[in-house]
Amino acid sequence: MQALAIVLALLALAPFLWLLVMSFKTNAEIFRFPPRLFFPVTLDNYAALWTSNFRSSFANSLIVSTVSTVVSLVIGVPAAYALSRWTTRSGATITLWILASRMAPPIAFTIPYFLAYRYLELLDTLTGLILIYLTTNLSLVIWMMRPFYDQLPRSLEEAAWIDGATTWQGFTRIILPLSGPGLAATAILCFLFAWNDFFFALILTRTEAMTAPVAVVNFMNYEGWEWGRIAAGGTMIMLPVLVFSFVVRRYLVSGLTGGAIKG
Amino acid sequence: MISNRQRQFYAFCVAPSLAVLAIITLLPALYLLATSFTPLNLTRPETQWDFSQPLISYGQLLVDDRLANSVWVQIKLSFWTVSLQLLIGLGVALLLNIKSRLLEALRTVFLIPMVLPPIVVAIIWKVIYTPDISPMHGLFKAIGWNVPALITNPDWALTAIIIADTWEWFPFTMLMVLAALQMLPQELLDAAKVDGASPWQLTRHVTLPFIQGVLLVAGLFRLIDSIKAFPLIYILTEGGPGSLTEVTNYYSFLQAFNFSYLGFSSAITVVLLAATIVLSWIIIRSVGWGTKID
Repeated sequence: MQALAIVLALLALAPFLWLLVMSFKTNAEIFRFPPRLFFPVTLDNYAALWTSNFRSSFANSLIVSTVSTVVSLVIGVPAAYALSRWTTRSGATITLWILASRMAPPIAFTIPYFLAYRYLELLDTLTGLILIYLTTNLSLVIWMMRPFYDQLPRSLEEAAWIDGATTWQGFTRIILPLSGPGLAATAILCFLFAWNDFFFALILTRTEAMTAPVAVVNFMNYEGWEWGRIAAGGTMIMLPVLVFSFVVRRYLVSGLTGGAIKG
Repeated sequence: MISNRQRQFYAFCVAPSLAVLAIITLLPALYLLATSFTPLNLTRPETQWDFSQPLISYGQLLVDDRLANSVWVQIKLSFWTVSLQLLIGLGVALLLNIKSRLLEALRTVFLIPMVLPPIVVAIIWKVIYTPDISPMHGLFKAIGWNVPALITNPDWALTAIIIADTWEWFPFTMLMVLAALQMLPQELLDAAKVDGASPWQLTRHVTLPFIQGVLLVAGLFRLIDSIKAFPLIYILTEGGPGSLTEVTNYYSFLQAFNFSYLGFSSAITVVLLAATIVLSWIIIRSVGWGTKID
């Protein structure tokens, strides 16, 4: 059984490893079959990325993902806390609204955003991208943090109120410090969503605000098929994702299902 | 009971989120709906707010053969990817559910395809499907098989997409099933073992009924996501050859951003959005049922 599992794991990993290895090969080596196990390792592909536009696109991706994460947390976390403590009759409607925002096909937002941005002059700007990433990330924050607060007993803040704390202090001094792990996981998932996005950036950016996933695809279309650079760019995009994903792997299920299932 | 002061505080916490969500999701949804009632064509600006024939785009939906084809492609893609992902994900989860250090480490390895950025997944499969540099094609050639380039071959293009999509997303089902299996009470298994159940009978009559709720929810989530399939199709086939891999979402993208028919594209998208909302509603209903099992 274990041997079977190992074989399957290798099979599942092979396509990913191939791309990783490819990024360290020269073009001649990429086209060689059968491939050599020990080939001369080159960093030329990465050096080429550093001198191309990819560098600024990579920076754009970092800025957009970070800012949209921070904004979503600042607005969303208090809402998640309040929705957990305060049950209203419109709860079911808000639930459906938030889940639908998370599940909607990206094109449903892209068309109106594209039309509106032509007037607001937000096409090809980082601000424009940050705004559209909020559609998913704000819902994600509320969705992931609410069940987390449901698990924290009310007696925690009630004790603080009896000692004379205001509701605001009860939240910032008692509840927030206890939310560390949940906040970290939610922040990482928000960051990854914006980081992984391809569709919004493809349509709403041209050159100035282009993100790394779009830039790497441009190596396919306009500058010929530069496989080495494509592989190196792909590797640069996936490395932060792999590191972060392992940090939050316990929370992956609730992130992907918008909190519908707790992992 | 909560006091008035607390209620005010809660409202103060919720208000910014609801206001922002209204502006960034509700307003655009209404704008999309409004656009779907116009014949908006970006090359003719006067069509922007032309509501003289509000249902013209919806009328076109019914007679557009290419749209009908895209729905059929979508059904094939969704059916095969969701079924394969459920089957393979379930199989791998059952295999990994045996208590062992090694298998627990392997779980993390199996997650990699799912957490990779979708664009990287598309690039990986572009490499595999491009005969010049593909290890797969190299291997086939070495053993004397003459295999055509799958993504440009009418008989294989959709299958090639299905394979790539299944690889990317079977870990999702695996992860959800593994999470559910951890809730499976050990007494249930022990009782069945005492009664002399074989491993197969245990799986068939104890484990599977226990996780069927989770499987349903996993299937629904994958079904919704399969409607959004984009990077794989954009990178691997661009909807081709012909329109053999052109799903509805992709067709809507072409209409809007290649042909500039935003009005018509909006109408297609409204229908897609409605389908997503219905499916989300079904999920909310079935999750209520799913949590009872937990």
